[in-house]
Amino acid sequence: MTVAQIGDRLEEFVRTQFRVSPSDARFSRSQRLFDMGYIDSVGVVELLAFLTEEFKVTLPDEALMSDEFSTIDGIAAIVGRLRAAV
Amino acid sequence: MSRVTLLGRLDPNFGWAGGALRQSAACDGGPPADLRGAFACVTTEPPRACIARDPLGLNKLFWAPDGGGLLLSARPWRLIEAGVPFEAIQAVPGGSAVDPFTGAARAIEAPVRRPREGDEVLAVEAVARELKATLDAYCTALHRAHPGATAYVCLSGGLDSTGVLMLALEHFRDVVPVSFDLAREAGPPSADRLTAERLAEHVGLPLLRVTPDADELLAGLDDVLREGVDWRDFNVHAALVNHALGRAIAGARGRDPCLVLTGDLPNEYLVDYHAEQLGGRTYYALPRLPAHALQLALVRGLDTSHREVGPLGAWDLPAVQVYAPAVDHYLALPDGFLGESSRKDRLSRLMFGERIPEYVYTRPKTRAQVGDADVGRGVLGLCLARGIDQPALRRRFAELHKVGDPASLDRFIRAGRYRSALPRLTEAA
Repeated sequence: MTVAQIGDRLEEFVRTQFRVSPSDARFSRSQRLFDMGYIDSVGVVELLAFLTEEFKVTLPDEALMSDEFSTIDGIAAIVGRLRAAV
Repeated sequence: MSRVTLLGRLDPNFGWAGGALRQSAACDGGPPADLRGAFACVTTEPPRACIARDPLGLNKLFWAPDGGGLLLSARPWRLIEAGVPFEAIQAVPGGSAVDPFTGAARAIEAPVRRPREGDEVLAVEAVARELKATLDAYCTALHRAHPGATAYVCLSGGLDSTGVLMLALEHFRDVVPVSFDLAREAGPPSADRLTAERLAEHVGLPLLRVTPDADELLAGLDDVLREGVDWRDFNVHAALVNHALGRAIAGARGRDPCLVLTGDLPNEYLVDYHAEQLGGRTYYALPRLPAHALQLALVRGLDTSHREVGPLGAWDLPAVQVYAPAVDHYLALPDGFLGESSRKDRLSRLMFGERIPEYVYTRPKTRAQVGDADVGRGVLGLCLARGIDQPALRRRFAELHKVGDPASLDRFIRAGRYRSALPRLTEAA
């Protein structure tokens, strides 16, 4: 699975789980999910469980707190690296 | 002079490994790989230097670089007072032991979900037997290590705290049940208070009643935010209750040795939480996850829960989360068990049977932050009535920790974990 494909699946999850309107022009894969209020502190737990279940990866805490873990593109890149390292 | 400096005291250790209590904060060679319970240590002198934290992250330990050295403390506010910017503070990762001089690190085995296979009824019974045996062994060891200590039991009258009361009665000579309720001008006491009174009478012990009014309760808020290391309402509200209990227990114990026993943790282990509704809004929302995933998320989130040990420690009281060493047993429960609505009732009956009166088994569950079927009468309702909502708690935590932008706190706690990294001295040291 490529990073782009991971991003596709992740975007689909975020849009569905966190009810992002299809007409939301602000939303994109490079948008900051937490700062912009798309995902709250409870939602991030759901996101983490999704990453574990869907991509069979366990995110180390440093990745969870990184700048990269704030956009769909960034999270997809992290997941891609973790999968490649297995 | 050591380049590793500990500011303030560590949380008291009540670790458990190999059937023995682990209380020493001097952990030469590091803690055992099978460590459970609340534990953190800082040994600063090479070549036996070690910094470690238990795998659930029950005891807190934070660090920051200090020139070429390291500053450590069980509370971020102490590091802030020493001049460390909040953004530089990280937790020692739960379940790790590291020599900060060499960087050599090893993991303490984390509890993982290993559900039992086979007949579910037998599996639950087997887990309950093992669980009770572990709790008995732990309490026996606690009493041996603290033979003259009075056991104060934080008693809400729910199944978990009533279980702790029964354990305390089995293993300690002097036991004092302690009950919290908010003072109110009219109306009956809370359901928690009424149940605690009934239980105290049932076991023939006087009940220490802690009934602060709103101002007395909220006077502890800053303490709670600093010592609880959290701003999230569900933890702050519970910590306010514990802070009030701590004040009363500290007054009652005088200079006598004591342990404060709490029934914390089975709610996480057994996913026994629900959101609360008040004024048309939802509070204490839970992640929307299947039971097994939610269980792991809640257990993982204990890394950032200090609502018991923190506020009780503010009164110099050693708090023991009695169920802490039993996490592996809970995670060994069969898959279907977490889906049962009567799971806690069933497990408690297997462990304590008729020693717990029937009215405790059959009473509706109430959270410590609420204490009553009428949600608005509890700490949650009080805080909201005073305008102390979630954004206000976040702002106050930020002020107390000299954080300019409260939004940046999301990079300190995320998904139930503190920002963390292994402490290590830099090359420049």
